[in-house]
Amino acid sequence: MTEIRLDGLKKRFGSDMAADGTDLTVESGEYLCILGPTGAGKTTLMRMICGLTEPDEGRVFFGDQDVTYLDTAERGATMLSQTYALFPNMRVKENVLFGSWIKGWPEEESQQLARNILSMMHMESRSKAYPDELSGGQQQRIALARALASGSRVLLLDEPLRALDARLRLELRKDLKGMVKAMGLTAIHVTHDQDEALEMADRIAVLRAGRIIQVGTPKEVFEDPKTPFVANFVGRSNMIQCRVVQSAEGKVVLENEGGLRMEAKDGGQPPGTEVLMAVKVGNTKISTKLPGYFEGRVEKILYEGATITAEVMVKGLGLVYSKLPNRKFDDFREGNTVSVNWSPEKARVFDIPEGGIEYEIRVD
Amino acid sequence: MSLIDRLDGASSKRRVKRFWLILVILIFLILIILPSIYVLFEAVSQWGSINEVVSDSGKMAVIWGAVGNSFSIAFIVTIIDIIVGIPMAWLMVRKNFPGKRFVDTLIDMPLAFPTAALGFSVAIFWGIPQGLDVPGLGIVVSPYVLVILLHLIFTYPYMVRTLSGILEQLDPNFETAGMTLGASRFTAVRTITLPLFRAGLVTGFILCFARSLSETGGTYIALNLIGKQSAFFTGPTFISDLKNQAGSEAAMPELILISVLLIVFALLMLFVAKLMMDKVKIPWSKVWPKFERRISRGLAVKMRNGLSSFFLALFIIIPSFFIFSFLLIEGPLPDMAGLFKAMGISFLVAGAATMFDIIFGIPMALYIARNKDKGLGKALDMLVNVPLIIPTTALGLSLYLFWSSASLPGLVLVILGHISFTYPLVVRNVIGAVEEVDPSYEEIAKTLGAKPFQAFRKVLLPVIQSSVLAGAILAFTRSLGETGATIAIDPTINTVPIYIVNLINKFRDLNNPDYVYQAAVASITLTAVCFVMMVAVKYVTRRKLGGRGHD
Amino acid sequence: MPHVRLENITMRFGDITAVRDIDLEIRNGEYVTILGPSGCGKTTLIKIVAGILRPTEGRLFVDGKDVTDVPLEDRDTGYVFQNIALFPHMTIRGNAEYGPKVHSLEGGEAEATAQEYLMLVDMLDKAGHFPRELSGGDQQKAALARALASGSRMLMLDEPLSALDARVRMELRYEIRRIVKRLGITVLHVTHDQEEAMSVSDRIILMRKGKIFETGTPLEMYRSPKSIFAAYFIGETNLMECTVESKRKEGGVILRLRNDVLVNVSKSKANVGDIAILSVRPEHVYTATDGLRAQVRDVVFMGTYWRVRTEAESQDYVDYNIPADSEVPETGEQVYLVFNKKASRVFKRPKEGLTEAIKLE
Repeated sequence: MTEIRLDGLKKRFGSDMAADGTDLTVESGEYLCILGPTGAGKTTLMRMICGLTEPDEGRVFFGDQDVTYLDTAERGATMLSQTYALFPNMRVKENVLFGSWIKGWPEEESQQLARNILSMMHMESRSKAYPDELSGGQQQRIALARALASGSRVLLLDEPLRALDARLRLELRKDLKGMVKAMGLTAIHVTHDQDEALEMADRIAVLRAGRIIQVGTPKEVFEDPKTPFVANFVGRSNMIQCRVVQSAEGKVVLENEGGLRMEAKDGGQPPGTEVLMAVKVGNTKISTKLPGYFEGRVEKILYEGATITAEVMVKGLGLVYSKLPNRKFDDFREGNTVSVNWSPEKARVFDIPEGGIEYEIRVD
Repeated sequence: MSLIDRLDGASSKRRVKRFWLILVILIFLILIILPSIYVLFEAVSQWGSINEVVSDSGKMAVIWGAVGNSFSIAFIVTIIDIIVGIPMAWLMVRKNFPGKRFVDTLIDMPLAFPTAALGFSVAIFWGIPQGLDVPGLGIVVSPYVLVILLHLIFTYPYMVRTLSGILEQLDPNFETAGMTLGASRFTAVRTITLPLFRAGLVTGFILCFARSLSETGGTYIALNLIGKQSAFFTGPTFISDLKNQAGSEAAMPELILISVLLIVFALLMLFVAKLMMDKVKIPWSKVWPKFERRISRGLAVKMRNGLSSFFLALFIIIPSFFIFSFLLIEGPLPDMAGLFKAMGISFLVAGAATMFDIIFGIPMALYIARNKDKGLGKALDMLVNVPLIIPTTALGLSLYLFWSSASLPGLVLVILGHISFTYPLVVRNVIGAVEEVDPSYEEIAKTLGAKPFQAFRKVLLPVIQSSVLAGAILAFTRSLGETGATIAIDPTINTVPIYIVNLINKFRDLNNPDYVYQAAVASITLTAVCFVMMVAVKYVTRRKLGGRGHD
Repeated sequence: MPHVRLENITMRFGDITAVRDIDLEIRNGEYVTILGPSGCGKTTLIKIVAGILRPTEGRLFVDGKDVTDVPLEDRDTGYVFQNIALFPHMTIRGNAEYGPKVHSLEGGEAEATAQEYLMLVDMLDKAGHFPRELSGGDQQKAALARALASGSRMLMLDEPLSALDARVRMELRYEIRRIVKRLGITVLHVTHDQEEAMSVSDRIILMRKGKIFETGTPLEMYRSPKSIFAAYFIGETNLMECTVESKRKEGGVILRLRNDVLVNVSKSKANVGDIAILSVRPEHVYTATDGLRAQVRDVVFMGTYWRVRTEAESQDYVDYNIPADSEVPETGEQVYLVFNKKASRVFKRPKEGLTEAIKLE
């Protein structure tokens, strides 16, 4: 089983730094998700790992071996692309067997492996079909089968579910991870969809503008973001610009321009510092009865199914969002005055980012 | 390990990849590009004798006349092609009607005729052939007009196909978006589609222009049949005429001069066309809604389609087939043994050229298609067009001069010449095919363990093979029909077009219409062979019909 | 009078019937979403309403007038495409001015109108750029401005967010709704994403295989779906096969799951002895000291909650949620599950079987 290590990878395309000093370690058998907006450099990273693109600087290690300039065919890292790229002139079975055919494996073994994988996916009946006769979800499964049957220890998944309908994606997320784990492979799965990353990853690496900003388990990245970008990208947050008033017992008291006071977890900044506070919309609570940090008017209640989102206009602050379970839908009406509250340990405080707040919290 | 395995293994080594690329590029430069433009250098070294020709106003008048005719004819023909080609391309891409497949085949028909045969057809359909009793319209007296009518026939398919190709690739959503915003179809096309179309128009322009400039055999035959071969020249017929006469060595300065003029102006035109592609703006900010709305619908559309079809029938199809009316007359058959020997030579030349094109053209095409953003890729992309633009007769002469000190057999030189103008056809075709293929296929294959050559063989080649085959067949037919280059290099190499030209020369010298008949039959035979090849192309590249799920 | 009315609309392409017998009314200023899996006919339908396609059968009425035969360019409909389709050779400003210009607005007016709408979508500072220089989200905003600038009272959104990142989608869909509501425009929005449909629509129309399956407000469709497909497609739900065992005096039924397990739910119209399907959403499943016995297979962190996946005694897979800071059960642990009686729904078992009934492709 292989471990992968990326060491200071840099890659430039014209004026664009697709990779700007990327460091990453992937453990054997791990399912790692690289999460980031389009243009962050996710695909470039994958291509450098499997050898389709050469880095300008830096190294790629598979185990102890430096594979930075090793030919793609020798690396043993198989890619599953967004468009599946099933060979159009070959049938399903031939597609699945391509890897073993190329490597000249014994016929019997390859056939058996292909049969097993196809039956795992309930696709044996379609083994003679051509790719253009299959539906999107079926194509995705065959592309996966082809990768699994290739004998590679490492699987690189480049937004594998992107081309599918939303509802189908939900179904296939479970199947995809299950199969990869069943075969004991190491997987690097790239996506822009935080729900997908949260559900599937053992660990998440957040990527932006060619740099990895934070790596951690889904819980760590969600609850303990290291930058405002992560705080807003992995689970939407209310971002409030304010100043530290005082700190005590691990909590800070903050005040914004409009004079509203609130509390958060102490981030180590001394009183008087300008800071950016972030609290997840799911942790922002509203109530018609209990007191809170400040009050606002409910502008809109959006019904989202299992959850609802309330837009609350707070004087001296702006719009604050609160995400609640759907059973609360009947508790609030547009026009209600509500108090806004959260538990201080759930709110994080960050230094004002260098590039400015607006750029920091952009999601594209 | 078998040879293939060795090749597969070698292909992953960087040095091997680099070596192969350099080899292909060098072969291209030394065997194709350099010989094509060598005449320019020769002109400099023989400047003395050329200067003498320049000061001879009589000779210069003829030379300028020929060059002027070639370029003006090419220009007029291309403009007409654009005007009638756009509506036809539109019809073929955007509309469905009964018999569409039939019309589709008709449009390509002229490509199946060697231009020699077309020369016959046009002369007897439109013109007044001397000493021949064949039914025709006989309304065109001017050789200038006759040549234009001839050139229209074989350039028309190039224009329509190029325009159709671009139109097909354009996302119709852009136009639809325009219409949802309130623009009539005509306005939307003029302001949205046409600007996006621009590159295709220029490509079509260049292809047609170059094809017309190059044409020798058909023009030569047509002029001879109406008896104007000494009064009217195009660049290629001038060169052919001189080369045919005894003592052509003495006329070398003139040949060099006219070749240089043809090449220089052709390259200039290419340059100007590329410039136009980026600079000239089609007016789109002005809109005339009411008027454009009216011509988008109903009667106007029907008239437009009607006229396009009428043009296709009267000016393209009927004239093309007219040569077959020779079969209605009684006449002596040509020396069949000689004809078959000529066939053999034509096949040998075409076959050798095509083989070379495939072996060395595919790697070139692959490199260009995958490296269009790099300096070398862009340069090669431009260079590949050069042998396409240069009139084949001038190209042939240049090549002849290049190799003159290396006493190579005439056959080899002719093959080299044919390689030069067929190579770009194969390369362009393959580039087009590769560009449509998702590079992911090969890349994924590599991640599954395939070495570069393996990925090419097992994944890319099967997908583009029909395009490769089509390109090869087009190159083969083009070579079969070529007259000018063969004459310019070595008129003693008896390909079928040369065979035909010899018969026509006999007709002219001995004034015996029997020879015309024989030449016509030879042309028809050659046509039959080309027909078979074109049918093969159609079969191989037939499009898959319908069947996309509707949402 | 409804703004738009479809009467018996059918569309055939050769042998394939893309949509069949569609009857639909859309009120003035309403935001209607047509939701359904790929291939259900939703894009065909929106193209018919816009005028891009002529229906094979049926009539289309706008403001009471029959517009079925009116050509596309004379229809008063703004359209936003899935692949954006901004004219690549014009700047954003040029794109936005196109509509007014082809409507013969005088030069100055066209520019002013474009300016107004670009400001509305917050794209004024990028008006001089070309489409390829902008991000996906910005391009789509520009496309929206362009569609609105032509002055139509009707807007068609053809999967406008499908090509964008998940996070960008979330922000942009609220933006779009806010803008159209402010302008009082009638909107027909097509998507396959039920979360998107739920969060922006006044009314959802669920389509499947060319027909309208169900319609209702997001709340209605989520809380009281009339079919298993709707229950499955909109939101998530646990589906369990069962038979109706008996009815209770106080209302409510007892269902027998596989392996003879019994559960209690609220009333249902099914009769005793019927084969049925029980649908319970994960947020309506709770743990208790007694109930349906289940073994925890997997626990997944979803942000503000944990998703616990179990296999119940009845051989059904049942998922439920617990808040993010609760104690998380171990894999293999045994739990007891009870269902919210009122929120659970019982459906008659469909003729074609459960798998076919919820199939997405």
